[in-house]
Amino acid sequence: MAFSIFHISNDELHKLYEDIIKNNETYAPVEHSGDYKFKKVNSLKECNTDAPIKTTASVKPLFFPQTSAIMHYSEDAKGIKIDDPKEDVLTHKKVILGVKHCDARGMQVLDSVAKWDWQDEDWIKRRENTVIFSTLCVTPENTCFCTSLDYDVKTTDAYDVLVVNDGQKKLLKVCTEKGEQFLEPYTGVLTKLNGEGDAKLKAEFTKFKNAFHLKMDYKEVNAKLQGAFENDGWDFESARCVSCSACAFVCPTCHCFKISDEKVRDKGVRYKSYDSCNQKYFTLMAGGHNPRTQKYRRWRQRGMHKFVYYKERFGVNLCVGCGRCTVKCPVNISIFEVVNNVANNI
Amino acid sequence: MEVLLKPEICTIQEVIQETPDVKTFRLKFKDDSIMDKFTWNPGQFVEFSIIGSGECTFCIASSSTRKGTFDCSIKKAGLITADIHNLLDVGSEIGIRGPYGNWFPFEEIKGQNLLYIGGGIGLAPLRSLIQYTLDNRKDYKDITILYGARTSADMVYKKEIEEWKKMEDVNVILTIDKQEDLWFDNVGVVPKILEEKVHPDLSCTKVITCGPPIMIKYTLMSLDKMGFAPKDVITTLEMRMQCGLGKCGRCNIGSTYVCKDGPVFTYEQMKKLPDEF
Repeated sequence: MAFSIFHISNDELHKLYEDIIKNNETYAPVEHSGDYKFKKVNSLKECNTDAPIKTTASVKPLFFPQTSAIMHYSEDAKGIKIDDPKEDVLTHKKVILGVKHCDARGMQVLDSVAKWDWQDEDWIKRRENTVIFSTLCVTPENTCFCTSLDYDVKTTDAYDVLVVNDGQKKLLKVCTEKGEQFLEPYTGVLTKLNGEGDAKLKAEFTKFKNAFHLKMDYKEVNAKLQGAFENDGWDFESARCVSCSACAFVCPTCHCFKISDEKVRDKGVRYKSYDSCNQKYFTLMAGGHNPRTQKYRRWRQRGMHKFVYYKERFGVNLCVGCGRCTVKCPVNISIFEVVNNVANNI
Repeated sequence: MEVLLKPEICTIQEVIQETPDVKTFRLKFKDDSIMDKFTWNPGQFVEFSIIGSGECTFCIASSSTRKGTFDCSIKKAGLITADIHNLLDVGSEIGIRGPYGNWFPFEEIKGQNLLYIGGGIGLAPLRSLIQYTLDNRKDYKDITILYGARTSADMVYKKEIEEWKKMEDVNVILTIDKQEDLWFDNVGVVPKILEEKVHPDLSCTKVITCGPPIMIKYTLMSLDKMGFAPKDVITTLEMRMQCGLGKCGRCNIGSTYVCKDGPVFTYEQMKKLPDEF
């Protein structure tokens, strides 16, 4: 189904954003000492929907919170009582503004793991109830490589509405039915473009694509990595890793979690929280057996899961090329370099 | 997801001290209607939790043909299992989620000779299938159970093994690693006894094995030597798990989720997995 492309003036777009913020629970990048974070906003002044750099953490916590309670319980002489949940927060409708397309793609990629076999209802409900407004980056950062992967930034429908700069105006591209329905009340301020819209977008995308510093041949890297399990490049590349897991926590697509219990006297909570394959205890079994004791084995799992296993299982590449892990790594390990070096280390 | 991760409360009906560090817990759901609906296939596992301590993965060690309760045999090995041993007794309430995972192909192996090879606590997952095949005895041909442990005191299900020994249509071979006083059975590690004492008909025998990694490694080598085809050897893999639903990513080996695609694999399937062990 083809969706429309519109023109909108900057002023009108601001008004539209203001209106959205007024009527919906809205999240957008908010600046704090030069970094950006997705926060709930009450007016457009608080946030920057065209943030020049990506947010420190991805948009993932809005769909998959860092910690979320599974159940609260209490214990007395009669036994254990599990409390009933009070309110279903998942039904809250949300709008997120200024999502970079790598982030949006990350969420789309994670749909596969949430929807195979057992259905992750929480994830699905949060996804369904959220409208994503994406802004095309003006210039990519040095760590970005989203255009080198297995998705096309130009045609992806990972976001519902895309906003692109076009001189003094903005191009607004509707990408999903959800986006179309959401924009219906605002059609008055939108000027529908016919053929010329596509051409304009294409020009912007080409400009964007050419600005990239990091480029790789995804197909080749993927093919080479498939046979790279025994490659000693993993050992070399992971040598300086300090196993801090910062990469996993800022990554839009890392989705491993753990389940923990915290109980004080007779009341407690069981919750799920982020975990990472970079941690030694991740696969440690009772009795001491651990298949991934060495760092290179853990990095191999990380690299291979992102670039080979997930693609093999679900048909999409897990890494979306946002480069956050590289920015936050204390020893400057870049996943782009790791997979390229391992693939070419034959 | 969070809903799927919520356990149901079970009450412990009976605790059997199998060995100095293994206890079998006989469990029943507090809510009878859940117990009636609860059904599983041999080889599947549950998430067993002490509310307040945490969750662990254990296979169900009994067969669904013996309804009303189910068993989990637990070795004291880590943090939570120590709590399980120290804190739980008859009447204690625990949480159970499940059953999860795939199961032994009990339909496909009908009409075949079965050779069970167990080591130590590894007899627990096999016991589920052993009970199932004994309860449906006419569907299967010869049943041989080869079981080894470090010492005679480390053997689990001693009473049940005695019963199996008395059955005319079950061949039980027991072994311990070193000679002890008053031990009149075999002495030696499992692969050695396997090669010496078992003479299976390769054309119609399925091997089902579980045990410590080192035993599995040498047993698979012996089975190879004896001429078994990798597709006729079935085992269950051990891997750390957390959710059991194919989401948390902990049990990944390559693109395989051990909790969903396993834990039961044939040796043929195992050979195709990346060599993480």
